[in-house]
Amino acid sequence: MVYQLSHTTSYKYQSGVTFCHNIATIKPKNLLGQEVLDYELEISPKPTEISERTDFFGNTVTRFSIQKFHKELKVTAKSKVLRNSNLQPDIHTSDFGKSITLNEALLEMQSMNSEILDVKQYVLESILIAKISPEIKAYASVSFQPDRPIFEAAFELMQRIFNDFEFNTDVTNVATPIQDVMEQKKGVCQDFAQIGIACLRSVGLPARYVSGYIETLPPPGKEKLIGTDASHAWFSMYIPKFGWVDFDPTNNQIPKNQHIIVAHGRDYYDVPPLKGVIYSSGKNKMKVEVDIRPAV
Amino acid sequence: MTTESNILFQNYFLEERGYDELLKDNMSINPNWEMLLENLTKLGSEELITRQNQINWLMDENGVTYNVYNDPKGLHRTWDLNIVPFIVHQKEWQTIEKGIIQRAEILNLVLKDIYGKQELIKNGIIPHEVVFAHRGFLRQCDQIQYNTTKNLLIHSADLSRGPDGRMWVVNDRTQAPSGMGYALENRAALHRVSPDILKGINVKQSTGFFQDFSQMLINSAPSNVVNPNIVILTPGPHNETYFEHAYMSSFLGYPLVQGNDLVVRNGKVWMKSLKELKQVDVILRRVDDVYMDPLELREDSYLGIAGLLDVIRQQNVTVVNPIGSGVLENSGLIPFMNNISNYFLNEDLILPQIASWWCGQTKERNHVLENLSNFVVKRIDRSNRESIYFCEFLNKEQLNNLKRNILANPYNFVAQEKISFSTAPDFVNGKLEPRKVACRTFAIAKKDTYSVMPGGLVRVAAERENLRVSNQRGGISKDFWVITDQQERMIQNYSWDTTPQNKTISDINDLPSHTAENLFWSGRYLGRALITSRLLRMSLNRMSALQYSNNKTEAESLTYIFEAITTITHTLPGFVGKGKEAVLANPLKELNSLIFDETRMGSLAQTLMSFTNSYYSLRNLWSKDMWRVFDGIKKLWNKYDKTQEYSVSTLIKLQDNIITRLIAFMGLIEESILVDQGLLLYFIGLQTEQASLTIAKCRALIVVKHDEQLEYEILEALLTSHESLNIYRYSYRSYLSIENVINLLVLDKKYARSLTYQLARIQKDINQLPHSQTNGELSECQSVIAEANTIIQGLNTGMLIALNEDNTLRENLEDVLSKLSDLLHKTSLSISDTYFNHSYQQTQLVNQNFPLQ
Repeated sequence: MVYQLSHTTSYKYQSGVTFCHNIATIKPKNLLGQEVLDYELEISPKPTEISERTDFFGNTVTRFSIQKFHKELKVTAKSKVLRNSNLQPDIHTSDFGKSITLNEALLEMQSMNSEILDVKQYVLESILIAKISPEIKAYASVSFQPDRPIFEAAFELMQRIFNDFEFNTDVTNVATPIQDVMEQKKGVCQDFAQIGIACLRSVGLPARYVSGYIETLPPPGKEKLIGTDASHAWFSMYIPKFGWVDFDPTNNQIPKNQHIIVAHGRDYYDVPPLKGVIYSSGKNKMKVEVDIRPAV
Repeated sequence: MTTESNILFQNYFLEERGYDELLKDNMSINPNWEMLLENLTKLGSEELITRQNQINWLMDENGVTYNVYNDPKGLHRTWDLNIVPFIVHQKEWQTIEKGIIQRAEILNLVLKDIYGKQELIKNGIIPHEVVFAHRGFLRQCDQIQYNTTKNLLIHSADLSRGPDGRMWVVNDRTQAPSGMGYALENRAALHRVSPDILKGINVKQSTGFFQDFSQMLINSAPSNVVNPNIVILTPGPHNETYFEHAYMSSFLGYPLVQGNDLVVRNGKVWMKSLKELKQVDVILRRVDDVYMDPLELREDSYLGIAGLLDVIRQQNVTVVNPIGSGVLENSGLIPFMNNISNYFLNEDLILPQIASWWCGQTKERNHVLENLSNFVVKRIDRSNRESIYFCEFLNKEQLNNLKRNILANPYNFVAQEKISFSTAPDFVNGKLEPRKVACRTFAIAKKDTYSVMPGGLVRVAAERENLRVSNQRGGISKDFWVITDQQERMIQNYSWDTTPQNKTISDINDLPSHTAENLFWSGRYLGRALITSRLLRMSLNRMSALQYSNNKTEAESLTYIFEAITTITHTLPGFVGKGKEAVLANPLKELNSLIFDETRMGSLAQTLMSFTNSYYSLRNLWSKDMWRVFDGIKKLWNKYDKTQEYSVSTLIKLQDNIITRLIAFMGLIEESILVDQGLLLYFIGLQTEQASLTIAKCRALIVVKHDEQLEYEILEALLTSHESLNIYRYSYRSYLSIENVINLLVLDKKYARSLTYQLARIQKDINQLPHSQTNGELSECQSVIAEANTIIQGLNTGMLIALNEDNTLRENLEDVLSKLSDLLHKTSLSISDTYFNHSYQQTQLVNQNFPLQ
């Protein structure tokens, strides 16, 4: 499956901006099962300087600055991505991955091998997922039992979030604490992903945040998926000796070919699509447009 | 010498005692202290009290302060230095010094490893969580390469003497350690007040250390920069150690800047100076890690420079210490330090540390939880007092809470043995008293090793039985003497000239725009304070005279004067607006408010406060004399209870005193600061304010035509408030007339207080500012002030005093003055826009308001 992808973020500044520094984390990742065939970043006005680097989590970040007065900023990332999830190891065919229990997994996490050392950081608190409340831990414990396979438990957790939480774009923003989301049981994909991560970490399992996109065209005869007009997010759990497995609690499914991965982080804070510092005295208005369609 | 007969030792010991620096267990004197004790005894208790007072006075006079956030006593608390120093003999110091160098080197290697290969974690020398769960581990700094010989360029440690008599390491300070400047000032103050207590004692001096410090900054510059531009970055005057930032800036000769003085463009860091952007090579920072770059670190920081980290990655600027070094301020490392030392250096630690248990390990955690009340528990990434639990003092509920917190995230906690550190004699109430002490040491990277300051900063517990020693709570300090048996060169003034002067930022073009702005506003506020004060004094004097007469015209003129005061100071409603009848009925109340009400815009108190704020931001420029006079104003002001209503005569006395001191201060500014250091900006501010207020006074008092008698009174009031009555008498030797008053105050070309003179002076000074030369055209502020000068040069008295049709107003005068007032305002705005450049505020592209802590 090859996708043509376009993600535009534009800002209109009421009184203009003299100068800005920005960081964009919007280039889709190259990884097993996903290949970026083509990528182009259009920025208007043209940046004075622009550079690309790989961040701590292995994501591509683009830093740019615009050093002249402007009243509008437009950042468009266009890419062509080949997605073939068959190339990824399939959890359903891995007897070990499917059956490892919580107790066994926690024991494996004590190992000093380099892969475990690398994923250990995803067990710890992170900026937006800190001070995990007893309520969240209790919510997680319903699914996670010491002798139950963690894959089965995580799958159930995903279903429960899907069923218990209401998708609602009016109640939360990027800064809403997970505790509030847990209490209100309302939010957007990003909140659900972070609830999932908090639950996994509360029982000692490594979990990371995945930012990306989901295909917008509904397959024939099926319901249209949520997350159409913006970027998407879900969570990923590390299963020792198997690897990372993604879960999309917003759509109650394990991501396959319809999900395109842009970045991994501990939570949203590590991978906002676009952030920056501007020098301005007025307000600004933001608009985001995402378009995904099969390439022709 | 025996201690029993010595009055200084009365009650030196209470029942309980630990290790004391001065008295050994058998009550004999530690020989290192003998000579000092002899000198102190010779001076005697009374003389020591006098000397101590002199030190207090000197510290106060020199403005040595330590700000305490949220302190009811306000900012700028005086730094206390006890007359009795702390002594360590060179023989012991050699070992301590070796230990400090070893520790600095180990931490340097740890820093390199944490942001590099992470071998310590991979090889199981330190647990993963000690780094990854520490807030100071900044992933943004991963894999940054530095071209300095060391990654850790400044290391500071807090040492205390343990019960075994050895110096123990309590804490490491690695982000932006404070204390060097205080140590320097302590030494200077003690030498100055009491050179005789040094008699027969050889104290090692820190001159060489500061040379190494300066050289380290120069060497830190990105490669192939020969004559680097170095700046000192401060969070600003509200920071607790701002005194020291300014002190180090004057001492080392590098400009003191704040975040908004610097900007990142084209992959480099630039300082906004008056003339242009000037590239910066080295930043000695006193801002903590996470505030350094709002683009990649804390978004809500206004203390740093957006985009800085990327410039560091490209090795176009060096920050000292590197951003991310806060991860070393980590009590979680302590239990593993000896293994680290063996891993890197194949040797044991020289300096012992407090026994510590990291709760991330099961065995250690259980040990801690079982014996919790015997421990001091800390979070690995916080060393502030609020995050330290002295478990012996906790009740059952508090202990249970702590247990729960530890169990929730055990890797965040370290438990340490509670230890009674040594005491040293402190001179209190005429006697010596044992107090707990802590020593802060300083090491600077020098080639392949570290240079250590001989001594350091010693802080003393505020009370006799206090467990902890910290500056945040106030407290006392001591000079730290490392004594030797050899002769040491006495150095009175801590300056040196052995290295070629690295003078790079030296003329007005390079003045940081923030400094320029504060100088400009200092001038404006000082001018406003002086004129407001004189205006108030004039009205108070008239009130006082009126008490003994019932002249109707005088009373009427006073009403006009009161109204004018409201207009000139922009303090409506006052004597003019709604409810003025009541205010006029009791003018004293309003005058008290105009003097003392800090919350009222335009009041004298508010103007002085604004001045104080700009002034503190500039303290690296001021001389000690200036401090003294400034402090005098502050002290005078503080004597008054702002809630009381004072009498006319008391207020007159206050104004007299304030005016004298303000004038003394202004005189000192002119002779203490060079034009190239920015005095020009101060003058422009001062003259602009004076000219504006001259205009305001004339508009309020002489535009309206009054009958002869009343006009006489008002003219006299105007001249008095302008301090021009004598000059008038000398120049005109006549009855006061409106023509002559206008001639003197508005049109005179030679009189320094006339508007014509002031406008010409502003124009002359503005023309000296750096201007971008574009085809010989005038800059905006140049052309605006030129227009004002052209207007005033075209005026004549006859036209100005002409009355309107119904003979009530001098309309021409009003028109001209109003036009000039607008032009001055425009000039001021244009200077701000051109040179200060803060019209655009730094904000976040997406205001995320993350719940950061």
